Amino acid sequence: MKGMKVKTDSPVTRKAREGVMEFLLVNHPLDCPICDQGGECDLQDQSMAFGSDRSRFTDNAFTGKRAVEDKNIGPLIKTIMTRCIHCTRCIRFASEVAGVDDLGTSGRGSDMQVGTYVEKMFKSELSGNVIDLCPVGALTSKPYAFTTRPWETRRIESIDVMDAVGSNIVVSMRTNEVMRILPRLNEDINEEWISDKSRFAYDGLKRQRLTTPFVRNNSGELVATDWETALFDIAQRVKDANPATIAGVAGGQADLEAMVCLKDMINRLGSEVLCTEEAFPMINSGTDFRSNYVMNTTIAGIEESDLVFLVGTNPRLEGSLVNARIRKSWVHNEMCVVLLGAPVDLSYDYQYLGDSFSVLKEIADGSHPIAKALADADKPMIILGSDAIQHNNGSLILDTVKRIAKNTKKSLNHPDWKVFNVLHRNASQVGALDMGYKPGMDSLKCDKPSLLFLLGADADKLNNDDLHGNAGVIYIGSHGDAGAQMADVVLPAAAYTEKDAMYVNTEGRAQVGRQAVSPPGMARHDWKIIRALSEILGVSLPYDKLSDVRGRLAEISPTFDRPGRVEETGFDNVSDDVTIDKITHTGATAPVVPALLKLRDFYMTDPISRSSLTMAKCVQAYDEAEANPYSKPEAI
Amino acid sequence: MSLFQKIGNIGKIFRQNGGLVGSYLKLFRTDDLKWGTLVGEDKYGNKYFQNDYYFMGRNRWVEYPLSVGHDYDASQVPPEWHRWLQYIADEPPSQLPLPKRKWMADHTENLSGTERCYVPYSTTRPKVEAWVPPKNNL
Repeated sequence: MKGMKVKTDSPVTRKAREGVMEFLLVNHPLDCPICDQGGECDLQDQSMAFGSDRSRFTDNAFTGKRAVEDKNIGPLIKTIMTRCIHCTRCIRFASEVAGVDDLGTSGRGSDMQVGTYVEKMFKSELSGNVIDLCPVGALTSKPYAFTTRPWETRRIESIDVMDAVGSNIVVSMRTNEVMRILPRLNEDINEEWISDKSRFAYDGLKRQRLTTPFVRNNSGELVATDWETALFDIAQRVKDANPATIAGVAGGQADLEAMVCLKDMINRLGSEVLCTEEAFPMINSGTDFRSNYVMNTTIAGIEESDLVFLVGTNPRLEGSLVNARIRKSWVHNEMCVVLLGAPVDLSYDYQYLGDSFSVLKEIADGSHPIAKALADADKPMIILGSDAIQHNNGSLILDTVKRIAKNTKKSLNHPDWKVFNVLHRNASQVGALDMGYKPGMDSLKCDKPSLLFLLGADADKLNNDDLHGNAGVIYIGSHGDAGAQMADVVLPAAAYTEKDAMYVNTEGRAQVGRQAVSPPGMARHDWKIIRALSEILGVSLPYDKLSDVRGRLAEISPTFDRPGRVEETGFDNVSDDVTIDKITHTGATAPVVPALLKLRDFYMTDPISRSSLTMAKCVQAYDEAEANPYSKPEAI
Repeated sequence: MSLFQKIGNIGKIFRQNGGLVGSYLKLFRTDDLKWGTLVGEDKYGNKYFQNDYYFMGRNRWVEYPLSVGHDYDASQVPPEWHRWLQYIADEPPSQLPLPKRKWMADHTENLSGTERCYVPYSTTRPKVEAWVPPKNNL
């Protein structure tokens, strides 16, 4: 009402608030000392700010306070439902943001219960966010239970590397141990959510770690040794190798500093063979133009779009927060989603075009109705998945999608709107391509490297046949995974929570992650290892400090110098016009299907999540949930 | 005490400690020269003496075996002799042996500062589990 005066701090208001607090606390247990939410509990704060300083609660009938049975909703979320104050935030999150209608209420009044009706797993890749949402300690983190109090931990702002979204996270640290990982607000990327893998895979940082250097002995076993021996062993191998065929591979979680050091060192040794694990067809302008391999419209830009065409991707599992953003637009902006690929459960409805390449070709030729829909759309987006690019006919798919994008742009009302987008899976991919790494290991396999440096490359895409006869393999990384097993020399490096490092996400946004804990044992920061090695190899890199490395990064690309911002990609039209016909037509094309199809595939995708017990429990719980007749089966 | 008695005591000291050279070495090793009656010897080779000519507190003493050299210390005295040496009992264990129970452990000297010293170890699980390379994977 106009002219209305609202008093927010009058004695009456205060008394009313106190009354409401009393009612809330009548049915809330006073177990704050043993509650995991203690110290970060909204109810606690409200009670401190507005509540009475003494209790009038007397249990006249000696019946006790309301008690509710705890629910088992999976290995990630612990429920103590007696503490629930029925705010239903978790239910709203599940149905509105996550798009999984697993949670609901039954009963009324004080008999109301929040739960899943029948005992089943809360099957969502964003399920952990309900822990943050819950104002009280009804939903808490199972792996974090009873470990620390919020005032004991130090919070370090960092960047997640489990996928290419680059979610902003807060790492809670105590006594040089990562205690938990929480999301950090960034409206441009992850809003206030993070995926379960980002949140719960942190226990993988404490298992299967490389803590000393290893050198393979004559009987073929890796033996723990010291840094000096390992580095001089590498020096000997470099001396014996043909310098032109020394190769480097950057793994999925490699940071920019390490990658630039490795590139500079190998270039100084006289080789140009540096590549990433994920392939990208080098047709037309290949990776020469940034607009070819980043998400040009940005993640926040999804909200402006009115038509999203997904090609060979499952964004829900490859970039959960991108999918959450698509869902948000789908709910609020009446956006249409069209999918070509596997008929996966994306948590929203979409028009399914099948998984055949011929449909893509029809769209490019304009004979398919979707071609018209794209042309009519105000701001259409085409998101090409990294699995489609790495398809055996990836170059053909990329070329066709580029043609569709080009056709669509002709009738676009907004000349600045970029249609073509790529959704990567690896946190290192865009940064590596920006830096001049070659995508994919085909070129490396042709060269038959005589010495191979693996920078956290654990995708297990190489075998000994790809290498030169007695080629040595040097692994620099944090976990004992596929890479360390095939290596002759293993150098222990830091994981993402243990180093100040930069990553570029799929939008091409460089972001700085900060060091939360120190690397375990004799492990060192990746770029420092390479810097030390370069000195022993006689090709000293001219950087002694992290700022020097960052300076070198800024020399390579201005995007590395502007962390947190996404630079608009230019030369769109030029990049489309460059046409070098190198496309190899291999006749029949296999279905365009992404690798991650079900939630089960989501949990363990990289060395950290593969070492994580929590993630293993999730896979186990998923299998049990599938066997549960009450659990709704996932699509496909 | 007459001068003769004093000279006689010096003579006894020199005689008991093995002459001029022996006494010099004993003085070098123990910073003290005494004479007294041998009360007993334990299994470690420590010799126990008593002479009430010296006042209480100095009238019972131990001479460590030459095998320990200069590395002698009071913890090398076993408890039953400690009992006599510190006037807890009047009779030395050579006269009044103490009952030997089967649960009694053998005496050990204080090993601090030696190679055999006790080093406490952590019983907590390590924070980081290190990777153990698989054996014979070739």
